[in-house]
Amino acid sequence: MRITGQYLITLTTLCMLLTSTHAAAIEPPYRGPFVENDDLLMVLVPRTPEQMTAFYEARGFPKAALEQIRKTCFVTVHIENKSQRIIWLETANWDLAVDGERIQRIDKQQWTNWWNDINLADANRSTFGWTQLPTVRDLQPDEPVGGNIILDGNISQFDLRARFYTGQDKRDGMLDIQFRDINCPKEEPQP
Amino acid sequence: MKTACSYLLCTCLLLLPGLSAPAETLPPGVMRIDGITAPALKLNDLDGTPYDLNATSGHWRFVHFWASWCGPCRREMPSIERMISALGESELEIVLVNTSETEDDVFTFLGIVAPDLLPLMDRDGKVTEVWQPRGLPATYLVDPEGRIQYQVLGGREWEKTEYLEFLRGL
Repeated sequence: MRITGQYLITLTTLCMLLTSTHAAAIEPPYRGPFVENDDLLMVLVPRTPEQMTAFYEARGFPKAALEQIRKTCFVTVHIENKSQRIIWLETANWDLAVDGERIQRIDKQQWTNWWNDINLADANRSTFGWTQLPTVRDLQPDEPVGGNIILDGNISQFDLRARFYTGQDKRDGMLDIQFRDINCPKEEPQP
Repeated sequence: MKTACSYLLCTCLLLLPGLSAPAETLPPGVMRIDGITAPALKLNDLDGTPYDLNATSGHWRFVHFWASWCGPCRREMPSIERMISALGESELEIVLVNTSETEDDVFTFLGIVAPDLLPLMDRDGKVTEVWQPRGLPATYLVDPEGRIQYQVLGGREWEKTEYLEFLRGL
């Protein structure tokens, strides 16, 4: 890949911004659609294929892995528990839909299968894993969490409904958060 | 007499909570956990020197997992360096574990933000996986007997007084 000034700036910025699975409190203005109330803050930041491949390329991922990553849609999710009770992140309670039809995100097993096919190194698998949103987390008061959810790259726009149980025993009610018309950004056409 | 007994009973009831152990006040993000035995941690540092957590018992250890690509880790690392400086001759041992990066990545990053720190290198991420952190960055406080007594959620401003006092009190 030809290293250009623009590439380096993009890469540096992305490295600074990419959230880990633990993240930290973030400040407005947020870089994507968000919902904020007394219980939680949830921010979605859709990424372009170029951003994601640049990030993983800089972490030493091989070309075959980058080609697979380029075919998908990454959305970085940041959630903060602003309440004083446990909020349960369980992505099994999330619904993703395109034009009202439910869709599935690309799950960990599917990535594992792809990585097995190309014999991806353990270090790359580890890094990839730590950049994904956990599927289950008992978010403690004030605890943030972040990471990517990944969809098929053919999707242009989708809706997300995320439901969260609350309380130690999940009996303190449910939070119902909805996002509509989230874009999957496409790669800029080459001149 | 009845009034006196009622007064005595009320006084005793009021004093009862004071007889129990005072609740531990912890800085934000620090969670007390149940003293489980710390998993094995045997790695080489950035200079290739071997390290074994089990061989360093007898004092508290601050075990911190991080990666240079993670924004909160990048923001936190200079704070850890300032914390070490503020703690001075403390017996607390600082154990930094880089997760799944190369020497070049780590050297380049630390050279800019925290040049005095020397991390252990978990090149394939297997040791980090065994510790099962809730995410990166992650910090554990391991007691002199090798048990994890506290877990710290997310990146923290370690040089702040509340954290320094907590760490000095271990």
